[in-house]
Amino acid sequence: MTIQEKYKARVKELLSTGAVKMVIGYKPGSTAERRRPLFMRSPEEADQLVLDTACIANLAGYLVAEGLLSDDKRVGIFLKPDGIRSINILAAEAQLNIDQIVVLGFDIDGQEVNALEGESAGDFSALIESIKDHAPEAPRNPLIEQIEQMNPIQRFDFWQTEFSRCIKCYACRQACPMCYCRRCIVDSNQPQWINTSSHTLGNLEWNIIRAFHLSGRCVGCGNCDRACPVNIPLRLINARMGQEVLGAFDHFAGMSETQEPVLASFKKDDSETFIL
Amino acid sequence: MTRILLSDKLDNCVARWRKAGLTVIGPVKKETFSSYATVENAAEFDLGLVMPDRSIKGLFFPQTEPMVHYSIKKQAIETRDFTPPSEKRIIFGARPCDASGLAIDDPLFGWDYKDDFWFQRRNETVIVTIACTKADDFCMCTSLKLAPDSTKGSDILLRPLQNNRGWQVEELTDRGREAFKEIADLLQDGSEPAAAVAVVPEKFNLDACVAWLQNPENFDSTFWKEISMRCIGCASCTFLCPTCHCFDFQDEGDTFTGIRRKNWDSCSFALFTMHTSGHNPRATQSARWRQRIMHKFNYFPGKFNVNSCSGCGRCSRQCPVDMGITETLQAISTLQP
Repeated sequence: MTIQEKYKARVKELLSTGAVKMVIGYKPGSTAERRRPLFMRSPEEADQLVLDTACIANLAGYLVAEGLLSDDKRVGIFLKPDGIRSINILAAEAQLNIDQIVVLGFDIDGQEVNALEGESAGDFSALIESIKDHAPEAPRNPLIEQIEQMNPIQRFDFWQTEFSRCIKCYACRQACPMCYCRRCIVDSNQPQWINTSSHTLGNLEWNIIRAFHLSGRCVGCGNCDRACPVNIPLRLINARMGQEVLGAFDHFAGMSETQEPVLASFKKDDSETFIL
Repeated sequence: MTRILLSDKLDNCVARWRKAGLTVIGPVKKETFSSYATVENAAEFDLGLVMPDRSIKGLFFPQTEPMVHYSIKKQAIETRDFTPPSEKRIIFGARPCDASGLAIDDPLFGWDYKDDFWFQRRNETVIVTIACTKADDFCMCTSLKLAPDSTKGSDILLRPLQNNRGWQVEELTDRGREAFKEIADLLQDGSEPAAAVAVVPEKFNLDACVAWLQNPENFDSTFWKEISMRCIGCASCTFLCPTCHCFDFQDEGDTFTGIRRKNWDSCSFALFTMHTSGHNPRATQSARWRQRIMHKFNYFPGKFNVNSCSGCGRCSRQCPVDMGITETLQAISTLQP
């Protein structure tokens, strides 16, 4: 039995026994390479399920859709390790009750899709631990190396040029599982914290603010990068910030549902004297 | 006998137009991204693209534009209007869907208030469209009753020659004729046949869709919720769309002085209809997606007698979750009116 058929049977079982009210997965998209999110509420709907190497989108963001988890019923969702880390963060930040989530875990290794053993987010902690351990030697995007060779002025110019294409469609924000704020800072106008206009300054402000808000929270799923209609390499910024946070605080985002948010918590023995 | 423009004369044309004071714009691809951009010579054009990633809209209706400078004094408020910048331009290699999009929006920008910014740019820009000889999976102009060689919104239509050496020239407007006078001696007579236009299969029955949308009972159909369940509420579709035209006013500055700007806005955003009270008449993403479809194929044609869609397919091509107008109208086509 292929992994897709195995999981299809599992979804049907979950839905027909009433163990979950919905399973979020993938179905074929408008071209051979594309996959679409699929919301299965009946066993029959699972017939459309696809699970293959094209299932790269992180679906975790759909879990915080208004009202989905408000009735205490459980929801199943197909997640790769990055997605599992995402729901750990959402739980740690009190956005969802992780006991309501049934994880259908999988991983993509080259041309292969592998099933991951486990059902609740906690079952994958050893796996995430090993991803953290291997993070420093994980292959980095060559463009990051290139950017690191630049001096600060060149680097600023590089990003200024990239951000100049931004049209403020907020696809990056909407596609990001971590951008769950009901009212984003850019949408607040009392006071107006940042420029809403899509001009040089406004674009720079938006993208930098977002990078800071995701520092120590981004799991590198790449949803923002793929969503950007003007192809700004957004994941580079967040990957670099993640590397910084790992080095400075030994913090790897999404280790567990109880992991403290690194930039929103403090300890008495923190070296920064201004905190306490 | 038709007039022919050979590709190897294009660089001369660009130089000639530039010398005549025109800004020359055309499809340009830079690394991973393409748009209509200003060029200095013909080598910068990428005329092989199905279409640029970004539509032509921003050249007439920029994503942000200053309207008024204001300063609040003790006894009075001083304002200074910005005026549309004057610039004579020629866009070479527009796609028929992009050019049509501009013509679709003309009545909107001139309806209850004449938008000088839009019309000054429209009047000062010559649009030289090249008929499409290739299309991709997302092109859907034929479903909108347009075609890969539609002349709508264009000043000149060029039809690629079968031998790929240039284009047949079809002059459509005085503005186009004027611009081509500059290069009259670079054109020649010829009888080379034009290449076949791209085959764009019809993807949905527009009339059936419109009939369904016009039935008030379908406004509350569960269809809307189902079709838009995966919509994440970004504005990728609306901002890439050549006809979406909604905007917002934003004041930038402090309490006493600043600039009022006109910025693109999108019906996909929850904030678009949010009231000061906190009430939102379009509280769900399905209500927002319904609005987008209704506006394009029911309300807009009801007012201006034309659909607010030219079939470029960018909404579907670029959607982060693989949604779009095509899928929605295909689904509506199968429903009973």
